[in-house]
Parts: sequence; structure tokens; C-alpha cells
Amino acid sequence: MNIILLLIPISLVLLGVGVWAFFWAVNHAQFDDLDTPALTPLSEDAETVSEEDAP
Amino acid sequence: MNATACFHCGEANPASPVILARVQGRERAVCCPGCQAAAEWIDTLGLGDYYRLRSEPALRSDLGFDYSAWDRPALRRLHVRETAPGRAEVIVLVDGLRCSACAWLIERAMRSTPGVLEVGVNALARRVVLDFDPRKVALSGLLAALARLGYTPHPLTAEMIDSQRQRESRDAMKRLAVAGLGTMQAMMMAVALYAGVFDGIDPAVREFFRWLGFLVATPVVLYSAQPFFRGALREWRSHRLSMDTPVALAIGLIYLASLVGVLVGGHEIYFDSVSMFVLFLLLGRHLAMRARHRAGDVVDALSRLQPALAERREGSAFASVAVHELEPGDIVRVASGAAIPADGLLRDRACRIDESLLSGESTPVRRDPGQPVIAGSLVIDGPIELEVRRIGADTVLAGIVRMVTHAASERPRLARIADARAARFVLRVLTVTVLTALAWAWFDPSRALPAALAVLVVSCPCAFALAVPAALTRAVAVLAQRGVLVVDADALEALATADRFVFDKTGTLTEPSFERTGVQVARGTLDDALGIAAALEQGSTHPLALALRRMAASAPARSAAQLRQIAGAGVEGEVDGVHYRLGRVDFALGVDPDRTSAPTDALVLADADGEIARFAVGEQARAGVIDLIRDLKARGIGCEILSGDCQDRVDAIAARLGIGECTAKADPAAKLARLDALRKAGHVVAMVGDGINDAPVLAGADVAIAIGNGSAMAHAASGILLASSQLDSLIEARRIAGEMLARLKQNLGWALAYNLAAVPLAALGWVPPWLAAIGMSASSIVVVLNSLRIGRRPSIAASGPSPATGKHVREAAA
Repeated sequence: MNIILLLIPISLVLLGVGVWAFFWAVNHAQFDDLDTPALTPLSEDAETVSEEDAP
Repeated sequence: MNATACFHCGEANPASPVILARVQGRERAVCCPGCQAAAEWIDTLGLGDYYRLRSEPALRSDLGFDYSAWDRPALRRLHVRETAPGRAEVIVLVDGLRCSACAWLIERAMRSTPGVLEVGVNALARRVVLDFDPRKVALSGLLAALARLGYTPHPLTAEMIDSQRQRESRDAMKRLAVAGLGTMQAMMMAVALYAGVFDGIDPAVREFFRWLGFLVATPVVLYSAQPFFRGALREWRSHRLSMDTPVALAIGLIYLASLVGVLVGGHEIYFDSVSMFVLFLLLGRHLAMRARHRAGDVVDALSRLQPALAERREGSAFASVAVHELEPGDIVRVASGAAIPADGLLRDRACRIDESLLSGESTPVRRDPGQPVIAGSLVIDGPIELEVRRIGADTVLAGIVRMVTHAASERPRLARIADARAARFVLRVLTVTVLTALAWAWFDPSRALPAALAVLVVSCPCAFALAVPAALTRAVAVLAQRGVLVVDADALEALATADRFVFDKTGTLTEPSFERTGVQVARGTLDDALGIAAALEQGSTHPLALALRRMAASAPARSAAQLRQIAGAGVEGEVDGVHYRLGRVDFALGVDPDRTSAPTDALVLADADGEIARFAVGEQARAGVIDLIRDLKARGIGCEILSGDCQDRVDAIAARLGIGECTAKADPAAKLARLDALRKAGHVVAMVGDGINDAPVLAGADVAIAIGNGSAMAHAASGILLASSQLDSLIEARRIAGEMLARLKQNLGWALAYNLAAVPLAALGWVPPWLAAIGMSASSIVVVLNSLRIGRRPSIAASGPSPATGKHVREAAA
């Protein structure tokens, strides 16, 4: 049972790491635009083909 | 293949010469060399898929506009931010960024431009962020590349880059994350403690969990709940009560009481309740903020756009220079429908100016030569010349922009009423809380604190305060996504209740079109007449002028001076020293309209010797008009036409659309009188017009709806703008406005019922604080979720592919 005395602080440290990572992502514009990137993967194939054709 | 509409921009193609662009191995007809270049460039970049992905046609591509003015150091410094050696950033607002495919196209195309390091496109905010190497590519090159794609670029100044809005949304997201994670942890500790109450727990372990609860709840209260404390403090200092006051009081009291509990080891602790309370409040706020930003992004992008370039007189000609380069004393020309670039004195002639941007007064004001005009206001009947007095940060507009960015404080009437109601409610809640505490202190002091806390927490002024703005912001955001921009939120209420729609005809119900075969030339050659007509109309944004200029694109270009527009009649001016008039027959020939035997609707070009040419105006009903009229009639809403055009034409259109009432040959004063009469008869009148010519008339209706494109539109005197130019989007707008009113009433009803039920129970001590926290938060969430249902029902337009996409998909498949 005493293991919780170790596990809970560890979970809190991990929580802190998670929060730090989230803050980093927010500050680096990862959440500024949630709409436009959704379209980016749609035409990836067509573009590869045209790039191969080009040279 | 549809050869009549331009493959790139969708506008009508000239009958001859046929211009062809080669895209993905096929010849496509386009309308002008600009579109040809754009389409072929897009194809050579391997981005031909854009035509398959897009849902809206592109804007007509303008070739030949000179962006080199942007390379001047003074201007560059304002807009370009050096982030590292050999790396600079510029943020550009682009006109015509209409769908996600545009974002995709811009991103790919700009990335392949030499010197560009990174490209970020936000389709909703219409912003493009370009990271580039200033040693390899100049700002003007980037702007020209954007223009070549068909998007008009407007670089934003560097101080706007780290905009307040972005900071606000980032902050909100961080606070929400901390509150969410903190709440989960606090709940886990609380579950352990509750389990301990029933099954027995070692006092040392109990202490441990209590301290852990304190540890995880502290960041939630001290960091996440900051906005509530700040808000309460601000309101307190200005001697007002807002919904933040009881919230901040409750959070502070619960937290301190629990902290005392931990230190002394006494009564219950409520770290889980307080975290959850903060989390749910933040959730509600976050949803409201996102809706507000989405609505604001688009509207702001249009309405806060100051002109970046001005036409300065240099010698006898006018040259396009950056506004920041203007100096006091310069002479500047401003066209009809355009914004004035700097504060100055009017020089050449009287005109009407719309200063609604500055004064909120939408009726245009008359200015005579020598009187001051203010940057950012709109010239209704130009072109005018003015002498610059103050520029840049000294202008009145700059001061106002500073104020506007400080707060979106201009709140609609509905929201102000709700605020006042919430403030009264807060006062009552605080009174009840004090009474509860005093009463319990008399009977049973140990229960005084929990009962008072329960009253404070369970009562939900937020439900009141959120009821209106949540519904309003959601409706505005939904409409903005569908191309309906709500400039004035009060207009939505009027739109929902409007029982009479009045339409202007030209440019609203119909689109004009000219054909070369419809021109009767009395003197001179066709090309001459077209050149003169186009020169006279060069400063105008009237749809007739646009159609005429389009037809005259192939004629040799001429330039005109001393242009003067007469509203509802036409334009006059000098070309090569000869005075010409272009407009309605009676105006152009200078005769009394009653004596012209056969009034025609043609535009007549005349000089002092009489008629030179006559341009027959063809007309076509705009897309969506028939659907809109049918929908309005099905709902029993009266429609009528109010037009300055002649009787025959108005009758013809009215018959075609099935509109019973129509008034022809009405000048602006007559139109206003008609609107007044309708309103006196008790009707709520919605006026639909093209925004610029109709500005004074639009201002006379309960709700003014303007149709059009481009940034000049946003300044027009209207509450609602149809950016998509599709009239049938009004059907949708009416439905959503009605839905908003219904939801708003539900919200207020719910808030009232909940508070009436919950507060007495809490005062009697029957509601433990944790349950109160859930009840209160749930009540706010109900209001927000109810508001978010606005626009959930799929619209008719959104259910199928738009005509443009369908057409291009079919073409691609063929």
C-alpha cells in the first residue's frame, strides 16, 4: 500500500511534464489554426505524381 | 465544356477574342490575360488539382499592378519583421481567400517561390504568414506572386502580428488545460478521501491526500481562475457588479475554507468542487470566445482594412504610393466607394462621405471644399481630391483603432439588456447569501458557511449573462462561415422579425450585362465610344460601370479628369479636353425626362453636340433570387421592388419573379419616403441593396442587407453583408436569425427557472457545495450547448456540392 506514496508523486511529475509539453505546443502555434491543415493530406498523392512527372 | 464562363474566375468570357489557357493538358477558355497567366502558372507548378478541390471560383486575376512601392524602406520596416539574419516574416491579409482549396493553393504555390522559407495559411482569418529570406526575394515579389494567383494582398503592420486575439486564445487554451488536468487529479484525491470516510482510513494517509488535493487545486485557482478574479476586481473598482463577482467570491471562499480545513485538520474540504467549478466556467467561456473570434476574424479583416496605397498627384498625373509615404500637403485622389487614406481637407468639389466607421452614424454626411475629411471614411460619390493634413498614427482613425483593439466593448442592445439583468441578479444573490449566512449563524453556526457557499455557487448569473451573447455570437459565427457577415448584431433581431423585404433591382435582383452587339454608335467608332465610356466609369464601383469596363477591356485605354457622379443619373467628366456625360437618357442629353417619347434603359454617352453612343443594358436575374422570393412568399412575407430604373424593366423583372408590388423611377428621397411609410404602417422592413449606391436608403430600413464583394463593401451602411453574392444565403440567414431568437428565449427561460428552483433549496441548507458546483456549472453549460445548436441543422446549400464544384468535377471527369 505504501507504494502509492511513490506512485502518486510520480504521476504528478508526469502531469507536470504533460502540462509543460502542452504549453510548449500552444506557444509554438500548434493550436492557432485547427481548420486549414485538415485539407493538407487530401491531395498528397496527386502532388507526388506531378512532382515525378516534372523532371 | 462550359466556354462562356472563365475557367479560373467564373466570370463571363468575352465573345472575341477567345483566350485559352492550357491546364492539365486541356485548353480552357478564360476571360482575360490575367486569368490565363494565373491558370497556366498554377498548372506549371503542378497544382492543377486546385480546380478540382475548390468550392468557389477564384477572383479575377489582375495583372500589371505594381507592388514595387512596398519595397521602400519606410513601408517595409512597418510590415516586415526580421526574426533572424536572413529570415523575415510578413503577415498578409488576402482578399478572395474563400475556401480551403485556396489555402492549399497559396501554400503550395508560395512554397515553390524562390526565397520563401515557410508558408502558413489560415483560411478562416484570411491571413497568410510568409517566412522568407529577404536577401533572395523582395516583399514586392511575394505580393506580386500572390496577386498573380488572383488574391489581392494587403500586408498587415508588424504591431498587429502578435495580435491580442491570438494571445487571448492561447491563454484560454492553457488555462483550460491546467483546469482540466487539475480537476481530474483533485477528483481522484477526493474519491480516495470519500472512500476513506466509509471504509476507514489511516489519519496520516488522509492528511497526505488532503495536501495532495491542495497541491493540484492551487494552480487551478491561482492560474486558471485568474480571469474571474481580474474581472471581479475591475468591475469592483468601477463600482459595478458583474457575473464575475459572485464567481470570484465563491472560488476564493471555497478555496480559503478548504485551505483552513487542511491546516487545522477540521471540516470537509472542497478542492475537487472548486476545480470543477473553474473548469466548467472556463469551458463555457472558451466556447463563447471561439465563436466570437470566428465571427470577428472575418468581419474585422474587412472592416478594419485601411487603404495601404494612395493615388498621389505628381505633376499632372497620379501615381500610386504607399500611404505611409504621404506627407502633409500632398494632393490625393480617392475614387467612389474607396476609403480615404489620410486626414485632410477636401479640395475640388462637394461630395457625400460615409463616416460610419468613425461616428457610428450611417447616414452619409455632405462635405464641401475646404472642409476636413477623415481617414478611413468612405467616399460615396467620388472621385474627389484632397489635401493631406495628418497621416499614420496621428489620424483620427488610428486613435479609434487603438480603442477598438483594446476591447470589443461595443455590445449589441440585446446583450446590454441581459447584462443589466445579470447585474441586478448578482445584487440579489449577494443579499440572499448574506441573509442565509446570518440566519444560519443564529440557528446553527456550523452550517452557516456551507449554506452561504451553496447559495453563492448554485445561483447562476452566468446562465443569465451567457444566455444572450452565447446565442448571438454563435449565430454570427455560423453565418460568417456561410458568407453572411453580421456587422451589427442588432440587425439579426430585426432580420428574424422582418415581415417585409424591399429589394433594389439593379445589382441586387439582377446583374447587368453589356454586349458589343447591343451598342448603337451614332458618331465615331465603337472602340472610341467604349474607351471614353470606360474612362468615365473608371472610378466607379457601380455594377453597370463594372460591366461596362469589362466589355471595354479590349478598347484602347483613355483617361478622364474632373469626374463627377450624380447619384441615380450617371457620371460626367472630361476626356481629352471634351466634356462628356454618360448615364440615363435624360441626364446624358440634358432633356426633361417627361418629354422623351420612348424612355429606354440604355446608357447614353453624349457630349455637348448630342448622342455619341447608346449601350443597351441586358439583364439577368442573380443566382438564388428566385429561390429567395419563393421562400419568402411561402412564409407570408411581403416582397417589393424599389428601383430607380424605368417602369417597363421593373415590371418585367417583377413579373418574372412573381413580385406584386413595385415602384419604378424612384430617386433616393422617394425610396426613403416609401420605407418610412412602410415602417409607419407597422412593418419591420428589411432592405436589400448593393450597399454603395443605396447607402442612404439602406440606412432608412430596420435591417439593411448589402450584397457585394471587396473591402469597400464593408464600410457600406448596412447591418448585414452577403459576401458570397448569393441571394439565397438570405434564406439561411433568416432561418438562423429566427432560430437564434428562439434559443435566446429558451436560454433566458432556463436561467430563470433554474435559479428560482435552486437558490431556495441552497438557502435551506439542502444542497452541499459540491452539488451546487455541479448544478451551477451544468446550468451554464446547458445555455452554451443550447446556443451551439444554432445552425446545427444542415442547410440546403451545404447538403449538396455547390454548383461550382460540381461543374469542375464533371469537367475533370470528362
